[in-house]
Amino acid sequence: MTTARAITCPSCGGTIEIRAAGYTVTLACRYCGSLLDVAHEDVRLITAYRRAAKNFAIPPGARGTLFDVEWEVIGALRRRSGSALWQEFLLFNPYSGYRWLVAADGEWQFGTMLLDRPEDDRLAVSWRGRSFALEDDAEIETTTVVGEFYWRTARGDKVQGATFANGREQLSRETSADEVTWTQLIPVTAEWVEEAFTVEQRHMPRAPRPDLTEGFRKAPGMAEDDLGKMFLIALASLVLILMVQVFLSGPRACSDGRATVEVGAATSTHRIGTIEVRRPWQLVTIVVDSDSFTNRWVDLDYSLVNRQTQQSIDAYGIVEFYTGTDSDGPWSEGSHHAETLISQVPRGTYDVYVDAGAHGWPSDPTPGSIDPANPWGQGETVALWFNSCTGGFSWGMFWLMAALLFSVPGVIFWWRHDS
Amino acid sequence: MADLTCPSCGAALPVRDPGLPYSTCAYCQTLVRRGEAGSLEAVGTVAVLPADVSPIQIGTVVNRDGIAATVVGRVRWGWTDGSWNEWFLRAADGRAFWLGEAMGMYMLTSEYPRVLGVPAIFNFVQGNPMARDCTVKADGKWLTATDIKEATCLGSEGDLPFPTLPGWTMTNVDFRNAAGDALSVQRDADGTTAWLGVWSNLAGLKPANLRQIEGWSIPRALA
Repeated sequence: MTTARAITCPSCGGTIEIRAAGYTVTLACRYCGSLLDVAHEDVRLITAYRRAAKNFAIPPGARGTLFDVEWEVIGALRRRSGSALWQEFLLFNPYSGYRWLVAADGEWQFGTMLLDRPEDDRLAVSWRGRSFALEDDAEIETTTVVGEFYWRTARGDKVQGATFANGREQLSRETSADEVTWTQLIPVTAEWVEEAFTVEQRHMPRAPRPDLTEGFRKAPGMAEDDLGKMFLIALASLVLILMVQVFLSGPRACSDGRATVEVGAATSTHRIGTIEVRRPWQLVTIVVDSDSFTNRWVDLDYSLVNRQTQQSIDAYGIVEFYTGTDSDGPWSEGSHHAETLISQVPRGTYDVYVDAGAHGWPSDPTPGSIDPANPWGQGETVALWFNSCTGGFSWGMFWLMAALLFSVPGVIFWWRHDS
Repeated sequence: MADLTCPSCGAALPVRDPGLPYSTCAYCQTLVRRGEAGSLEAVGTVAVLPADVSPIQIGTVVNRDGIAATVVGRVRWGWTDGSWNEWFLRAADGRAFWLGEAMGMYMLTSEYPRVLGVPAIFNFVQGNPMARDCTVKADGKWLTATDIKEATCLGSEGDLPFPTLPGWTMTNVDFRNAAGDALSVQRDADGTTAWLGVWSNLAGLKPANLRQIEGWSIPRALA
C-alpha cells in the first residue's frame, strides 16, 4: 500500500503531494492557490486563483515536535472576526490525527478537537467537571487558505465562533450550517513554538495596537450588543433632558405689544410689554410677527429693563423678507416671523422695550418722494406684533445635547461598519 | 486452518476470520466467496484501494474493555464529500467490531442489534429515510443522528462480511452524544445492522502492530 498521493493541479499544472492522503478533501494549490476537490480519484477544480496565499508565520510543509509528537503543518488559514486577525495552522500526524496551532495577538494556542462535547449553556459550559465562561461570540470569516484540509473549506467561509474560558484555557465552539465542532485551546509559549518550527516573525499576526478605536471595535463579549444599549441610553438621556427643559421653562406669563415703524426713518423706541420673572433665573422668549412687506428688514434691539434696579438686559432680533428674480427664476428669502430667546434673566419685573428700525432693500425709499403705489401715504410703515413670555424652550441647547449624546455611539457605529 | 489459494490467480489467500464469507485477494483483487463446505468462488474484482496514510493495517490489534480485537479486513467508503475507512475486527471472545476512521479520530463499535427495534430505526430498516437530529436510546444512552451518508464501496482488502464489489452501496447513519458515545446504523442490500461504541483517539484504543508509514515514526506513546 502506497502512502503518497501526488496530483497535478488542473489549474497551473503543478505537482502536489497530498500529505494526509485518505483524509484530505480540499486542497489549495501551493503554487497558484486554486482550490481543488481531491475527495475522489479525479481531481476537480473548485475555484481557480492566480496566486497562492503566502506570508504565513509557519509555511505549510514544515515539521516540528510538540508534546513529544512530530507534526506536519499541512494547511494554513487566515481568519478574522471584526478587526481581529489571526492565523490557524492545521497540524497532522498519521498516528495522532489533527491538531491546531493558532497565532493571534503575538500569542500561540494549541488546539485539540473534542470528542466529548461540553454541556451547552448560553453563558457558560461545563466540560470534564470544569466550568468555562462565555468570552466572545461572533462571526468568523476565513480570508485565505493554503494547503490541505479534511473538510470542505474556501476563502470567505463564515462560521459562528464562541469562546469559553477557564483561566487561560479556552473551549471554542464553531457552528456552521452542517455541524458544530468543539476545540480545546491551551496556551503555548512563543519560545516553545519557535523551538519546534521556524517561525517567520514578520508574518506573525500583529498584536493589536492599544489605540482608542481598538476599544470601540473590539469589546470582548459585548461586541454584539453594547452599541444598541448605548443608543438607548443616549435616547433616554435626551428624553430626560427634554423633560427637564420643559419643567425648567415654566411658569409662563406673557405680555403682548405692538409697534409701527416707518421704513427709512430713524429707529424708534417702543414699550411692548411687562413681564415678571418668578424663578431665580428664567428664559424669556420674544416672538415678533410683522405685516407682509417685501424687500424690507427691521432691526429689533430688545431691552428688558428691571423696574427695581433699572438694569437692562439686551438682545437682538430681526424680521426680513426679500423677493426677486435671477437666472434661476423667482426667489424669496426671509420670514415675517422671528423669535429671540434671552437666557438667564434674574427674578424681577421687567419692562420690555424695543428699538426698531425698518429699512428698504437694496436702498431706503427716498424721504419725501411719493410712492406711486401709495400716493397718499405718510410714508411706508411696517406693523409689528410682539409677544413676550417668560419661559421658553431652547431648541439649540436640545440639539447640542442630542449631538453630544449620540456622537460616541455614532462614532463607534461608523468605525464598526467602516472596517 | 490451512490457507487457501485464490481461484483466480492461485496466490495464497490467508483466512483471517473463518466466520466471514468474503475475502479479497491481495494480488489480483478478486473477491472470493468462501462456501460452507470449503468451496471457493470468484465473484468479481474489487477496486484497488486508493492511497492513504491510515496507521491501521490488517493485523493491527486494539484493546476495548480489556479485550483484544484484531483487524481482519477493511472496506473504503466514498460519499460526495470524501471517503473513509472501516476496519472489521474480530475479538478473542468472538465479538465483531467495526473501527471507523474520520478526521484522524476513531469510532470503535460492536454489534448492537437490539436498537433495530426502536421505532425510528425500525422505520429506517424498512427502507425509509432517517431524519437528522433524530434521537434514540441505546444501552441506556441517548444519542442523536448527526450524520447521514449515502456511501459507495471504493475498494477492500482482507476478510469481510459483505461483497465489496464496485457499485455496492449503503446508507450510513451516525449517532453521537456529548459523552462521546457512538451508534452507527448501516443499511445495504443485505439488510440493516447497528453498531454501538465510542469515539476515541488512536492512543485510547491501546493499539499494537500499527502500520509503519513511510516518512513517519510511530510516536513513543503508541509504540
